[in-house]
Amino acid sequence: MTFQTMLATMAVGMLRTFGVFVLTLLGSLPLGMVVALLKKSRFALVRALVGAYISIMRGTPLMLQLLVWYFGPYYLFGWSISGWRFPAIVLGFVLNYAAYFAEIYRGGIESIPVGQNEAAVVLGYSRTQTFMRIVLPQVVKRIMPSVTNEVITLVKDTSLAFTLAYQEVFSLAKQISASQTSFMPFLIAGVFYFVANYAVEFGMGLIEKVLDYYR
Amino acid sequence: MIVEMKNICKRFGSHEVLTDISFGVDSGEVVSIIGPSGSGKSTLLRCATFLETIDGGEIWYMNERAAGTDTSGRVEYVPQKDLHRFRSYCGLVFQQFNLFPHYSILRNLTDAPIHVQHRSREEAEDTAMDLLRKMGIADKAKAYPYQLSGGQQQRVAIARALAMRPEILFFDEPTSALDPELTGEVLKVIRQLAEEHMTMVVVTHEMPFAKAVSNRVIFMDGGVIVEQGDPYEVFENPREERTKQFLRVFER
Repeated sequence: MTFQTMLATMAVGMLRTFGVFVLTLLGSLPLGMVVALLKKSRFALVRALVGAYISIMRGTPLMLQLLVWYFGPYYLFGWSISGWRFPAIVLGFVLNYAAYFAEIYRGGIESIPVGQNEAAVVLGYSRTQTFMRIVLPQVVKRIMPSVTNEVITLVKDTSLAFTLAYQEVFSLAKQISASQTSFMPFLIAGVFYFVANYAVEFGMGLIEKVLDYYR
Repeated sequence: MIVEMKNICKRFGSHEVLTDISFGVDSGEVVSIIGPSGSGKSTLLRCATFLETIDGGEIWYMNERAAGTDTSGRVEYVPQKDLHRFRSYCGLVFQQFNLFPHYSILRNLTDAPIHVQHRSREEAEDTAMDLLRKMGIADKAKAYPYQLSGGQQQRVAIARALAMRPEILFFDEPTSALDPELTGEVLKVIRQLAEEHMTMVVVTHEMPFAKAVSNRVIFMDGGVIVEQGDPYEVFENPREERTKQFLRVFER
């Protein structure tokens, strides 16, 4: 296998990795906000349920969670799981990352001085307006560094999809390396991951710069 | 009466912060509330502006009841949609300014008029610029709060409250977070509003200011109104021993 073929094969894997990455972010960034707000619910039962969800998501290995989402329906209900591989991977990643994002959001929301809320209430803003217009924009600025961390971790975590024999870049690297007895695929994978994360860092840096207009 | 508080009681847990407080403010009146820290002055303002709920008594605005005890003795507030109207009667200026840091000065003044009171952007901006000129900071309209001094920020906060056209403006120690050399510019603005007969209640530790500007002074201690009346009387001829004691500290 020539270097070019290796590179081309793995580039396809990188696209699959990218698919998991994008879908996970699209799902978990908003879902995390829902979870964070439920964690601050007036109802103790809701808070307890959400707390348990976050504990489980953070307290068990993501690899294990992926296996449960993929094989669970078969072992629990005897359902056929053909075609379920990709949805299971995305579901597992989204639910796991939503828990982490939720805690980042909650920390951000709680770091906003209570005076901001009070000023908004006295000015007659509704609860929704206060959150959307006053609190949330300030939260976004404060949590950017933590979110960047999490997004970079996600880029690397996508390699866990190999557990479910998903042909992403890391699975391919292992296969090609074994069949070709070459170390090169791992180096290529490493460069792919690094470049992807460099792009993430750059993009997030731009957003931080845009939000730098106030303190 | 713009606002009337009747027999207000407020507890934090088992600690009673306000005990049977009654006072009213007429249109155009300027009332100063003085007293040692922990006497319940700020809590009283927070109850009047609906940031805290009362545990007993009644709150009236424009001769309409906003909160009061029902037959079972529990305090009941008017429904949320009516409370919104009562909130629009009053403005509050905080000790810590609480400007919105992510909005420009102009937007701090126009956002609520546009999105809460549904006024046109043009009208809201005209009003805002008029207010900023009055406060002497029209050149800061495009700046952000962090770029302003404390005194300037507090003047923006006053303008922000006025932009909502409240019937009454409450001040919670408006100069306590400022460096001494910056208090003057804020007090000057409040004095100017008093001359225009803006109805105001000012919690303050600035005794000369309270004496010179207000029509009435209320001295609070331990959650009750100890004494109130004409500023000259209260400052020069206090009737109560507790008032004399408190004022003596300021003479030194």
